[in-house]
Formats: sequence, structure tokens, C-alpha cells
Amino acid sequence: MPRTLAVHPFTVLALVAAVVAITTAASRWWLSSAVLLLCLGTAVWARRARRLVGLGAAILVPAWGSQLLIHGLTDATGAHVLLAAGPIRITEQGLVTAGELGLRTAVLVIAGLLCTVLIQRHDLVAAVDLSGAPPQLGYLLAATLFLLPRLEQRQRVIGEAQALRGARVGRGPRGWFKRLALRSVPLVLSALQDATDRSAHLAARGFPATGQHTRLRSVPDSANQRRLRILCLCAVVLGPLAVLAPSWGWFS
Amino acid sequence: MSPNLTLPDIAPGHLLRRRLMAAAAVVLLAGTYITLVLTQPTGLTDGLGASVALATFAAYLISALLLLAAVLPELPVSTLTLIPVALALNIVLGQFVGSVMIPLYLDSLGTVLVGFLAGRRAGAATGVLGTLIWSLFNPTVLPFAAGAALIGFLAGSAARFGALRRPYLAPVAGLVTGVLVGVLSAPVAAFVFGGTSGVGTGAVVAAFRSMGDSLLGAVTKQALISDPGDKAIVFLLAALLVYALPGRLSASFAFVRRYNVLGRRTSR
Repeated sequence: MPRTLAVHPFTVLALVAAVVAITTAASRWWLSSAVLLLCLGTAVWARRARRLVGLGAAILVPAWGSQLLIHGLTDATGAHVLLAAGPIRITEQGLVTAGELGLRTAVLVIAGLLCTVLIQRHDLVAAVDLSGAPPQLGYLLAATLFLLPRLEQRQRVIGEAQALRGARVGRGPRGWFKRLALRSVPLVLSALQDATDRSAHLAARGFPATGQHTRLRSVPDSANQRRLRILCLCAVVLGPLAVLAPSWGWFS
Repeated sequence: MSPNLTLPDIAPGHLLRRRLMAAAAVVLLAGTYITLVLTQPTGLTDGLGASVALATFAAYLISALLLLAAVLPELPVSTLTLIPVALALNIVLGQFVGSVMIPLYLDSLGTVLVGFLAGRRAGAATGVLGTLIWSLFNPTVLPFAAGAALIGFLAGSAARFGALRRPYLAPVAGLVTGVLVGVLSAPVAAFVFGGTSGVGTGAVVAAFRSMGDSLLGAVTKQALISDPGDKAIVFLLAALLVYALPGRLSASFAFVRRYNVLGRRTSR
């Protein structure tokens, strides 16, 4: 059973935004590595480490491959050449750049995914609803997050139904297009019909409602968390400025 | 769909504020893009490189959020209920395409569909929202929100000016959209991530780099190779899906009726 944090979703998001901004600005391998270890440690504590690593690897492995190809294998500017053969030019500087970019991307991905792992979607929707954001935003977030598994299931059912009725799709691009049409046309038509039906009911009930309204779900929050969020938002702006300003040469 | 009868009309002050927000978003986006193209910073991971990465990330994200804030309160209920469907379709159909090893993304099908049925403001909002929600599963897409907004905006513009009245016009509009979106998104890929997110596209960028192109030039050329084709197919598929809708359903959208989006097809 995964452990959950009794904190406001915005606190987690603000904390992660501050950490990512300052780590990106600092561009130090040891700081990025420490942040990654901290994220993994938190995921282990929350018993979600396997999910975090799986999701992270699916995004990071192709990104790292791309960065290695672009900077590691075809670097045109590095002076310390390790290997040069045809279009391939491997330099020490190129490999270092690829590694640093890889760490920067990893911090963004792992810290961002940690939010997904730690925040419960019901809490996030409630937090958006209770915040000063337009009421439409809460509806759109909730509707999308809860519609997604339903549409995935419906797509599988449509695929099974098409297979049961013996729909032949063939091979190659034509077969791919037919398979896409057989799945997407019923899926889109039914989803749009549902949306149109829903809009009539919502419009009749005065959606989007303005003013205060009661939510049955309470989101854990406190004065300390609110202060921490403000501090984190200041850190998102001032942290990178403090780290990077000396490198701009304004104070020399 | 009839307008909401239980809500007050929008005050002129709110309208002006939203217009200003949209204008600020466009100015911020254009300013950032022009600055990056003119200066073309060389360092990626030093102090200047980190500054450029953070500034590009922030400027593209803030302009997308400003666009969303300007557009969202203006959308009618029929469009608001359509957007979650489009966002889920982006993800579900994108996953289906990914699972059959076809080298296309098709992850903006829902955004284009909303642009075709509900107009460019709704399309732009869908693009930004889709990116924000998708970033919960893949944080690297977050700075591409402005590009996604442009896809929805251009889809709506294309439908408004008759791209759906002839089936062959939709892929042409998609081609043009792909060029513009590729050009707009290239600085984010180049300066925030130092390249692309996939090995195949990375190999193309590496090939251009080894021929002497700058990083921004190589990423832009790669985007101009892959994006127009993808968007042309997405626009064609979305147009075919709109044609497959029952006339009663497509005509329920005020945008479709007002601009005669489907031409003679409406009378089916």
C-alpha cells in the first residue's frame, strides 16, 4: 500500500518548481545527483519507486540517447578529441555537455514525476477548485483525469468488438490507416455525443458557478504550508537570479 | 448549443483585460523567439546557457498560461465539455499510434478537432491545457505548451477560412501549421533540452550538426522535416472525423454554423 503525504498539492508543486529552477541554474553535477537521490529516496519512502523509475526511464532513455548523439558523438567545437572518424567526432567537452544536459533533463523529469506519484488526483482537483483559479479549470482537470481511463477502456472494447465481427485490416500503411479508422471513428463519435449531452445538462444548471461553494473533500493545508509556498515561489524567481547573476558579469 | 441563460454577460472591463493578456502572451512569445534567433547563445550548460534555458522555459510557459487565462473564461459550455474529450483523445490515440511502431506522433488530433469544431480560441486553450495535463505524466512537454496552443489556434483559423470545405485543403493547412509550429518550438528543444526527446530525431539533428549547422539551425531543420508531415496527417484525420459526425452533432457547434465550416456537407 503506497504511503501518502498529508500536504497540500500546491505545496509539493511549489517545492518541486523551486528545486528544479535552482538546480538548473546551478548546473552542478553533484547538486543534480543529490536532488535525484532525494527524489528516489522520497519515492522509496512512498513505496512508489518502481513506478517512478519506470515512468522516468521511458522518458529519459530516448532523451539521453538524443543528447549523446547530438553532443557526444558529433561535437564540432571541443578541443580535446577522443575519436574522429567521418562525421563522428567524439570530444571530452561534448561528452561533458551531453552528461550535464542529461542530468538537467533528469532533474526536471524525476522531480516532476515525483509530484505525480505523491499528489492524489482527487486532492489536486479539490485544490484547484478551492483556489482562485477560474472554475472551468477545475472541471477540465477533473473531467480529463477521470475520462482518460474510461476512454482507454472504451478503445479496448471497440478493438475487441471489431475483432469479434471479423473486421479485416490488412498490412502496411493501408492496414494501419484502416485499423486507426475502425478504432477512432466509433471512439470519437461516442465521446463527442457524450460531451454534447453533458453540455446541455451543465448549461441548464448554470455552469460555471461563481462565488463560494462547499466541497465535501478537504485538502490538508496549514499556515506553515502557505508560508512555505510563498517562500518557494520567491525561490523560483530569486534563487536562479542569485546563482546566475555573478556569471553575467554585472558585479565585476 | 444555446448560450448559458443563467449567467450575467461579460463586463467590458474583463474583455479588455483578457485582450491585454492575450496580447502580452503574443508579445512575450515573439520577443523571446526573436531574441533567441538573433543572439543564438552558444553555451548550453555554463552560466549563460542555464540562464537562457530557464528564461526560454519561463517565457514560453508564462505566455501559454496568459493565453489560457485570456481564453478560458470566454468559452461556452459546449466547448468546455468538448475539451476533456479532446485531451483524452490526444493521449489515447497518441498511445495507440505509438504502440504500432508508426513514426508519427498524432498526439494533437483532439486539439485539431476542437479547433475545427469550436474555433481558434478553444483550440488554443485545448493545446495549452492538454500540455499542462500531459506534463503530469511527462514533464518535458511543459515548455512546448505555446506550440500546442499555436496548433489549436491555426486549426481553428483554417476551419474558419474554409479548409474543411474541400478534403484536400485540410492536409495543406496541416502542412503550413507544421512548418510554423516546428519553427516556434525549435528554440525550446535546442536551448532547454539541448536537442530532441527521441533517438531518431536526435540522429537527424546530429547529422545536420556534423554538416556544420548551429544547434538551433539543426533542430529547426529536423522540425521542418518531421512536423509538417505529421500535422498534415493529423489535420486530414481530424477532417475525416468531422465529416463522419452526424450533421445534428456538428451543427450543434456555433462556430461550425457561423462560419459555414463544412460548406455543403452541413446539409447532410
